[in-house]
Amino acid sequence: MADFAYAFPHRHLLGIEGLNRLDIEQLLNLGDRYVELNQQRSKHVDVLAGQTLLNLFFENSTRTQSSFEIAGRRLGADVVTMSVATSSLKKGETLIDTAMTLNAMRPDLLVIRHQSSGAVKLLSRKVDCAVVNAGDGTHEHPTQALLDALTIRRRVGDIGGLRVAICGDILHSRVARSNVALLNILGAEVRLIAPRTLTPPGAEGWGATVFTDMRKGLEGCDVVMMLRLQQERMDGAYLPSAREFFHFYGLDAEKLACARPTAFVMHPGPMNRGVEIESGIADHKTRSLITEQVEMGVAIRMAVLETLAKNAPDIGSKNA
Amino acid sequence: MSERTILFNARLIDPASGRDETGGVVFENGVITDIGPHISRETERRNGVNFVRDAGGKVLAPGLIDLRVKTGEPGAESKETLATAGEAAAAGGVTTFVVMPDTDPVIDSVALVDFIKRRADGVAKVKIRPTGGLTVGLEGKKMAELGLIAEAGAAFFTNGDHPVEDAGLMRRAMQYASGFDALIASRPDTAALSRGTVMTAGAFAARLGLRGAPPEAEWIALERDLMLAETTGARLLVDCISTARSLEAVERARAKGVKVACSVAAYSLFFNEIDVGDYLTYCKVQPPFRTEADRMALVEGLARGAIDAVVSAHDPQPPEDKRLPIADASFGAIGLETLLPALLKLVAQEQISLAQALRPVTCGPASLLGLPQGRLETGAPADLVLFDPDTPWLCDRDLLLSRSKNSPFDGRRLEGRVLQTWVDGRTVFERK
Repeated sequence: MADFAYAFPHRHLLGIEGLNRLDIEQLLNLGDRYVELNQQRSKHVDVLAGQTLLNLFFENSTRTQSSFEIAGRRLGADVVTMSVATSSLKKGETLIDTAMTLNAMRPDLLVIRHQSSGAVKLLSRKVDCAVVNAGDGTHEHPTQALLDALTIRRRVGDIGGLRVAICGDILHSRVARSNVALLNILGAEVRLIAPRTLTPPGAEGWGATVFTDMRKGLEGCDVVMMLRLQQERMDGAYLPSAREFFHFYGLDAEKLACARPTAFVMHPGPMNRGVEIESGIADHKTRSLITEQVEMGVAIRMAVLETLAKNAPDIGSKNA
Repeated sequence: MSERTILFNARLIDPASGRDETGGVVFENGVITDIGPHISRETERRNGVNFVRDAGGKVLAPGLIDLRVKTGEPGAESKETLATAGEAAAAGGVTTFVVMPDTDPVIDSVALVDFIKRRADGVAKVKIRPTGGLTVGLEGKKMAELGLIAEAGAAFFTNGDHPVEDAGLMRRAMQYASGFDALIASRPDTAALSRGTVMTAGAFAARLGLRGAPPEAEWIALERDLMLAETTGARLLVDCISTARSLEAVERARAKGVKVACSVAAYSLFFNEIDVGDYLTYCKVQPPFRTEADRMALVEGLARGAIDAVVSAHDPQPPEDKRLPIADASFGAIGLETLLPALLKLVAQEQISLAQALRPVTCGPASLLGLPQGRLETGAPADLVLFDPDTPWLCDRDLLLSRSKNSPFDGRRLEGRVLQTWVDGRTVFERK
């Protein structure tokens, strides 16, 4: 696949907002190449040899954290992962102090997840290296949207003109925000399906059609993206019960029948089986892309890390 | 031997009397002794020391009165002390300010009111009046000793930034206070709707992934307080309204004869929700920046005289509480030095007149508290500010005198600078 003559113009990847179609396609094309590599027995390249990748996770994560670790290792980087318990921050060191301390250890790439919206952007202003947002609060999760796009592109084809439904807890979902932005840039028709209490104010203005009736919302959809019901973020009663949510918004065979007969099902994980998705659908051999999403995740993160590393100024030269 | 100051060739603006003319003032022993167009370079000197000064055609107005200031004294002096707040006030042309009771310990007793008064008299350049906590410890459970604290000299009663949730207690406090005609201030907020929020609710907050406070949080508490003021006959100051609908509600109640006044934070006249922009923690305030329609409605309210007081809502916060992700950062913005420039910006934009800008920071609050200052007239205290309404300047937080630097005006272009400030006839600030 030919390289673009277009150079990726961003130092960090903080969100989908601010990217254009070329940026995204460049990352997806590189991701495609890494999918091929990852299917070989020898998965190792050395494009990041000598560079240090620091994973800084302020919020617990299994799959995103290991996905970035594997991506970094396969590219030949030295990978260090720190799970920073929020309690240590409570001891007095501020988030920015932590960032400055780690910055002094001269990482080349910093992957950050934080429970507060805007926190990754705040940190990116204080460090010298390239920063990847691995999820900030309820704001953005750009690598998830990119891996979802790569998954769709490889299985369904051109994203332009597809009808994609995103269902569930939109209000608390950074995945939804990033996906709506990305799918709009690539020309998909986006539908948001959620009860009113989980629909963000002004969501109609995001470039999406909002539905409360899941059956109507799913009509004619090519892709159905389910979201995790973020119970841990709910400090009030947004819903009467998980049971009622499953009744109206859980994806089962009957509701899925409202979408196109060939429609694919996606979920960013981890799933609450029986709450937002029925096991039979989640494990469906031909229609569920859920494990494939995980595979694409490693490839797209390799693409992101390589692209940003190439862009980074040579910070080592400061020593000279 | 008495000292006598003659200031001439000033544009005298006095919202209380409607005066707007070129002339001068004479003051001695801290009191204005003569005022008017007849005062000039030739005004007769008398025995003793005479200071004669040409004001260069700049504006001379009553010193500003600010009904909402927090310092860190007592309890958090690293944020701000009465002395440093006094410096900032003098530089901003504020000659009297009222401190909120949200300190540690809370100002909810005669002893604390007395402490603030003595301390302020001793260390601060400007006049400082304490308020009394409406409830003990601002916990919203037990009424404070309102009568005794009023006698000790509290300007009014308020629960500060801990609005009273218990409507029964609020009603009894108003009933009780109405017995001696005390003023109760209440910032309308419904904790059940605003707890844990960062900015105003709406499409912009949703895009940023931030929890928003719906305006209903303000409206519900406001309607409750207006209703209680109506039935109890208490004097109510609705503290820091931030929406168009709140102003309508206050005006409706006022038309019905309810003894209600309202204040607006200067930032609510200047910023809207979009200014929170890139998660700017200096823009995290209570009440939050609202919509542009709300901001415009408040400016119009100012023009028609519906707003009794504009306040700085000065709330110093140190970097360790602001250099955080916005959800974790503290609320509050400093404002003493930007109160007048924020209003003068609206004048420069021809949205309000100079008198309309100055009324809610001079005679408006003075008459609410029954203060003799806040007006240019013979016999009034010589609390004065001389300013150039047209000087453009760029606000740089590091150049502000407040001990904390959390100003949302940082980097903003403002119009109008204070040249000199007098308290009781003494110069407390002069721009070099």
